[in-house]
Amino acid sequence: MRPFTYTRAETLEEAVHATRRDGSRVLAGGTTLVDLMRTDVMSPAHVVDIGRIAGLDRIEHDGPVLRFGALAKMADVAADPVVRDEYPVLAESLRRAASQQLRNMATIGGNLLQRTRCPYFRDGVSPCNKREPGSGCGAQTGPHREHAVFGGSDACIAVYPGDFGTALAAFDATVELVGVEGTRALPFSEVHTDVLDRPEVETTLRQGELITGVTIPVTPVLRRSAYIKVGDRAGYSFAIASAAVGLDIRDGVVVDARVALGGVAPRPWRSTAAEEALVGKPFSTDLAKEAGVAAFDGAEPRKDNLVKVALGKRVVEQACLTAYSRGEL
Amino acid sequence: MGSILGEPAVRVDAVAKVTGAAPYAADEVIAGMTHAALTTSTIARGRITEIDVRAAEAVPGVRLVLTHRNLGDSVGEGRFLVPVYGGQFQSSFNPLASDEIRYFGQIVALTVAETPEIAEHAASLIEIRYAAEPAVIALQDTETAAVIDLVGVEAGDTAKELARADVVLDEEYETSVNHHNPIELFNVTATWSEGALEVRVPSQWVTGERYALSSVLGLSEEDVRVISPYVGGGFGCKGATLWHTVFTAEAARRLGGSVKLFVSRRQMFTIGAFRPQSRHRLRLGATEDGRFTAYEHEVLTQSSRTDVVALPGTDNTARLYAFPAIRTRESTVQTDTNTPGFMRGPLEFPELFALESGIDELAVKLGIDPVELRLRNEPDKEPVHGLPYSSRSLVECYRRGAELFGWSERDQAIGSMRSPDGELVGWGCASASYPVFEGSVCDCRITVDSAGRAVVEVAAQEIGTGTYTTLGQIGAEAIGLKMTDVSVSLGDSDLPRGLATAASSTVATIGSAVHVAGRKIRERLLSLAAAHLPGELTVEGGIVRAGNGASTSVADLVAAEPGGVLSLESRYTPPNLTPEMVKSTLEESTFNITGPIGPDHVTFSYGANFAEVRIDPITRRVRLGRMVGVFAVGKVINPRVTRSMLMGGMIWAAGHALMEKTILDRGKARFVNTDLAGYHMATSADIGEVIVETVDERDDVVNVLGAKGGVGEMGIVGMPAAIANAVHHATGIRVRRVPILVDDLV
Repeated sequence: MRPFTYTRAETLEEAVHATRRDGSRVLAGGTTLVDLMRTDVMSPAHVVDIGRIAGLDRIEHDGPVLRFGALAKMADVAADPVVRDEYPVLAESLRRAASQQLRNMATIGGNLLQRTRCPYFRDGVSPCNKREPGSGCGAQTGPHREHAVFGGSDACIAVYPGDFGTALAAFDATVELVGVEGTRALPFSEVHTDVLDRPEVETTLRQGELITGVTIPVTPVLRRSAYIKVGDRAGYSFAIASAAVGLDIRDGVVVDARVALGGVAPRPWRSTAAEEALVGKPFSTDLAKEAGVAAFDGAEPRKDNLVKVALGKRVVEQACLTAYSRGEL
Repeated sequence: MGSILGEPAVRVDAVAKVTGAAPYAADEVIAGMTHAALTTSTIARGRITEIDVRAAEAVPGVRLVLTHRNLGDSVGEGRFLVPVYGGQFQSSFNPLASDEIRYFGQIVALTVAETPEIAEHAASLIEIRYAAEPAVIALQDTETAAVIDLVGVEAGDTAKELARADVVLDEEYETSVNHHNPIELFNVTATWSEGALEVRVPSQWVTGERYALSSVLGLSEEDVRVISPYVGGGFGCKGATLWHTVFTAEAARRLGGSVKLFVSRRQMFTIGAFRPQSRHRLRLGATEDGRFTAYEHEVLTQSSRTDVVALPGTDNTARLYAFPAIRTRESTVQTDTNTPGFMRGPLEFPELFALESGIDELAVKLGIDPVELRLRNEPDKEPVHGLPYSSRSLVECYRRGAELFGWSERDQAIGSMRSPDGELVGWGCASASYPVFEGSVCDCRITVDSAGRAVVEVAAQEIGTGTYTTLGQIGAEAIGLKMTDVSVSLGDSDLPRGLATAASSTVATIGSAVHVAGRKIRERLLSLAAAHLPGELTVEGGIVRAGNGASTSVADLVAAEPGGVLSLESRYTPPNLTPEMVKSTLEESTFNITGPIGPDHVTFSYGANFAEVRIDPITRRVRLGRMVGVFAVGKVINPRVTRSMLMGGMIWAAGHALMEKTILDRGKARFVNTDLAGYHMATSADIGEVIVETVDERDDVVNVLGAKGGVGEMGIVGMPAAIANAVHHATGIRVRRVPILVDDLV
């Protein structure tokens, strides 16, 4: 760990002011940043702790839009009775993430910006274009079972590790931001960038910009939804493949569908191909299977990660079946 | 035996452990102590061409940077630990002896500073350039390397017996690299004061550590004290002396004070031992009616460039069934890793995974129930030399296990069973077999005071296995006191010579030493009492009684002694130990063990494992439904502790079977998933129901207690095969490699 300065912001204004400085990083729950600082992967010159800013942890579900404050704990949102009972994909994606101890600390805003688990990024010494632009990518030749089958490049094949972000990608979520130029709302689909040749750039957030909350429109697909994740163990493991699915079915016919994939791409990955395979057709177990196949059409697995495609199809299929089984809520 | 043995006593340190009151090595805070941090290599093989420590030394608060440049000859050679042959070191390769790099993550510098933060920061500023050479980490890449032949077992003519078999199985199996990953990281607090060294370190062998440190640092054994009151998980990685302990001690000597080193989780993967990768070629022959005709087993494991590691497990498997002919061969090849070593069931798990998977395959081929196939091959005598077993209750274990599991409900057809919610269900079984080892000479001192309370002192260790409790039980029973009146002192090399906590021999050997010393104290008490009481005397619960009803207390008897104390130190020498072994233990702290093949019998513990897996029909995610383990370990000293250890082993086995694996980067010759998020050990959510029982078993041969032991390792050795067999039963997919991942099933 390198020396750094620490600022505890009491208000959003203070936080924005403090994070304008180059080399500053925001500390919320600390579950990613502290880890990465301890292992010399991130060495910010300034750490701005926003954990004590009041009023940023609200969970709101009264109107046509759900809103979770950026500092709401993952554990609290997952355990919220309304979220749990009415929006299964959100609760499940939170509950299947990390461990209870981590969810107790980790915040919704921080979770969306969680950094990759690529071991070559995290070991602090291997070539890694994300950690040290221009140094190369250790994962291209090393074992890469955990790496991307969509959206990777020669520069980087690290995957976005989040579960909740995967769910948000499917359901038209919006992120509320505050920065030096005031507030703005950014569709969640525009928060993360494609890798291309600059893997060190992960988001479109500007220097000094903070997430204050996330909103999700309440829709029929959000209610009839599921998040299925398969990792190497039941808890505290990252997705080999995961899928967030929402279905709106009228008279047996799928009229709207949402599918997003986790653990397979450098960013939360919405699969319009799977959605198109579902919409307009009577729901059946075969259709669920077809959605899985469509979701992985065009995937580019490498030598070690064929499992992502084989398993990913099945995960999408299972998520469709589980969402369907939930009936109309 | 009195009623104290066999009592399910609660661990005496249970509350201390869960409240944090139990002192672990790293808890020690010494005024003025400095802090160390390691820097490790980023290549796997080659040389350091340049090492620049100026920036590190320039950081305010840095006191010392130790590298190969300035270690000099103040540190001597360390001998690699080979049981019976001698040595105490995890590897004979001193990583700071020269500019040579032999594995990724090798220690290249130790930086000492006033705070841990300064030390860590300074350590990261050391600039190193390397000249790297190609390196090899996986067995797959050693095809052209020289194979080092170790040992083998031969009996009968396997070629002939395979030829007469109706069915022959010929398959290859593989187990992966694993790391111990105890929750307590490696750490050392070394204090140099007036020419003497005191080292607090989590250790499975304090007397070995003392000898190792004194020899390598040129000190006398009297000038070194090693303290390790509790160990937060060892599993084999804290038995041998590790080089970072030496460097921390050397830093303390140079700085003339206390230095504490805390090792990071990532460094844990490279500065100590690990379970080596293993490959197996298995040939099994059987007749149509399920009688084995021959067993051939070739094992290849990895060693380092420095030390030859022998982990010969077919001594164990060769004696598991009535094999008319046996031929096994064990060998190893060098790889560019740190030296592998012992990890829970080191010799037993890999070989049993191969054999017990193979027997399941044979059962499928023959159409015979896999439990029945094993029972049909129950031997009268061990098949290698024709010696009797000291005791053997595998059949009873299978009977009871099958009953607990409901094995008779099993549908033999592959993929035929379903759970109520539609999951594929598979049921598998496998045998556990563990050699009973005895350690070397063990001293024990027992002191009884005038309040009738005894202290049992021995330089053994508590590594989570309840040693304070079980040795207290044995001592109380042997003397004739209440358990609450006996306390135990462990984990200090100044105590009477104990043993390494290894090979599951603590109860058998140290327990025997405590028993023998306790019996001597009892004899002394009875002879003291004979002055006051008539006739035949007994002592129990601290009271000496005569046949006529008269009595006196141990407290009163001891109070009348000079100084009000009765103290005695005695030495226990296991019967199969040779005089040379006694000598090498006493003079060179050699790790001597004997067993399981004695002159006129063999000693093994056995168990039957059953596993149920539930597999999602779509995603193919595997969950454990149930595990049942029934074991025969001779006399059970403490059923509560025994059950926990066996259960812990079974859970460990579930991890080995279904998730736990160190991923190798073969190009860079390094371990990849070196943290607890990437290295998957089983969590509670992965484990379904776990049922553990032991069967009553009497063994008058094995030792004075009749306790065969192996309890620390029995749970893990056979269960991985039972789980793999269950996966096959559910899916028809035979995975001959652990861990079995979802990759194998989609």
